[in-house]
Amino acid sequence: MKPLDFITGEIVGILLFFIGLYGLMTKKTIVKTIMSMSIMESGIFLFYITINYTSGSVPPIGQDLSGVNYVDPVPSALMITAIVIGIGVTAIGLTMFMHYKQKHGITHWSRNRNQTGSEH
Amino acid sequence: MLYLLVIGPILAGIMNILFSKKDTRLFIVGVQVAQFLYALRIFIQVRTDGTIFNFMSDVPDGLAITLMADIISSVFVLLTTTIFLMMILFAFHKEYFNTQFAFLFLVLQGLIISLFLTTDLFNIFVMLEVSTVVVAILIMFNKEKQAIYDGMIYFFVNVIGTAFLLLGIGMLYRTTGLLDMRAISVAITEVENPQALMLPFALMMTTLSLKTAVVPLFSWLPKAHGTPSAPPVVSAILSGLFIKTGVYMFIRFSAMFEPVIQVQEVFFVIGFITSIFGFIMAMGQNDIKMILAYSTVSQIGLIMIGLNMGSDIAYWGALFHVVSHALFKSTLFLAAGQVYNQYGTRDIRQIRGVLRSMPLSGMAIAFGILGVTGAPLFNGSISKYMISYGSYRPIVQLGLNLINLGTITYFLKFGTILFGKDNRAEEAKPPKEDRLSELLVFIMGGLILVSGLLGPISMDLLFGYEIEVFSTEYFEKGIVYALMIVAAAGIYNGVVKQSGLLDRISHIELTFNGVITAMTGFFLFMATYLYVFL
Repeated sequence: MKPLDFITGEIVGILLFFIGLYGLMTKKTIVKTIMSMSIMESGIFLFYITINYTSGSVPPIGQDLSGVNYVDPVPSALMITAIVIGIGVTAIGLTMFMHYKQKHGITHWSRNRNQTGSEH
Repeated sequence: MLYLLVIGPILAGIMNILFSKKDTRLFIVGVQVAQFLYALRIFIQVRTDGTIFNFMSDVPDGLAITLMADIISSVFVLLTTTIFLMMILFAFHKEYFNTQFAFLFLVLQGLIISLFLTTDLFNIFVMLEVSTVVVAILIMFNKEKQAIYDGMIYFFVNVIGTAFLLLGIGMLYRTTGLLDMRAISVAITEVENPQALMLPFALMMTTLSLKTAVVPLFSWLPKAHGTPSAPPVVSAILSGLFIKTGVYMFIRFSAMFEPVIQVQEVFFVIGFITSIFGFIMAMGQNDIKMILAYSTVSQIGLIMIGLNMGSDIAYWGALFHVVSHALFKSTLFLAAGQVYNQYGTRDIRQIRGVLRSMPLSGMAIAFGILGVTGAPLFNGSISKYMISYGSYRPIVQLGLNLINLGTITYFLKFGTILFGKDNRAEEAKPPKEDRLSELLVFIMGGLILVSGLLGPISMDLLFGYEIEVFSTEYFEKGIVYALMIVAAAGIYNGVVKQSGLLDRISHIELTFNGVITAMTGFFLFMATYLYVFL
């Protein structure tokens, strides 16, 4: 076993997921939140596309598949959808943040919500 | 043809945008009526012929994306179409009911219905993600500062929560090679190493606990449901219906994992803590919407208790509580919105005499309060009775009575807005609410009473579960209820009004980072629990 064999896509994906989570837990800036979210999602995408991969397998399209190992196409198909959703979500998050910053000049998650009731 | 229920509202929303120059409101109401009738037809068909399957392609069962309507999901779909019809009628004359709002609202309906029908895990992920976006936009519809902040917290917390689900689905797919929930629940028994299922289970349960808003993951709920400027129909849909998607998925996912992993005790305890925490937080609030939002937390805790008690009657009782909660909570939110419009404040100490100034809404609030506190003959009492019937352990009975006492206490506080003298000057009063919405709130209030009076019949009709509710024991509970009102009045006047402590407790809340940390902590707790005890 080669020393770097344990660095597979799945392991790196899970690591990225938790690195993103760490960022979300500790960073108070809203932009950094959005970035951490993207890192987390990239980790998941990487995890998916390397699911059950055996070396030497071929893509399942455009060639004769008899007798060869081919890659499971389902995770890749799922990830195309998930990436599109991820882009949409990031875009909406950034839009909300920009609107909020330009209108009210706030870039950080504040400590307390103003909830006295009578003031509204 | 179940997919019609999903794409129907979405297509109607697109039509509504295409013809935005014309008045499309009648068209939308027509679509809603058609949806309701079709859902009713599906419901009847399920009750007579059994579960309906709708395969989206010709590949074998278990691989195709499947829509399934069984007893539980058909009831949920029927409930969704009913409530949406009511909401559209309520909002018919309101100024916020414009093209964009109608589009988002109809899309949300399609998404909620598809969450109830689908059995495909990846579908669930997509629907959750899209509905998060739609709900966040609906929350910040009025673009006020507070609403945008609340909407952003809701949005980010839920997107991150759904990422947990996606990773969990990936791990499950890695082990089983399947995405269909029914197929997985069969295949799961043949997994050689059950440890491989624990991590995905913990990941998925983190998302579901976030969606059902149990302790410690409920912090986003009061922000999202109680945000000041969101239109009342949005709050009503979120609290009455959308939160139930979490409960529904919890039922489905725990059924899926049941052969291998059972964690009913954990969620039973979590339900208790949630319920107690919810009413303690609700007692200290002074904002009518916030009281209702925390009340939702408390009632969801009660539903989780019933679902995880391990007895049949409590399980169906909890499902009936889902229906009754949807009715009374959406009524209360709509009526609270009307009250806010009329009085210009949501501070409970400044609103008095609602029953006199707005009789129909006032009656609806009274019915809603009686329903949620479980007064005899109202629907809340039937479900609470069934849940408490599920266990004879003294500690459980004590806990349930404590929860009910808490509920009555903060709703006594809420009920003070009904009586007293209206202090507003005559010229300060805004024009009266339109007739249709007033009438509709009243009709919804009436439904609370009707579904309670016909409790055993509606139970049998909805879930096919026969039960003799109106027994002597049930009426004994009525006496207990009367005693509890007295006790709650004592507690309210003696403790809640004076104590500054509750006021301070009620302002405790987690920051955004705190919420995410709580989520990670919950995940670690679940994973550790599974590895250590199973």
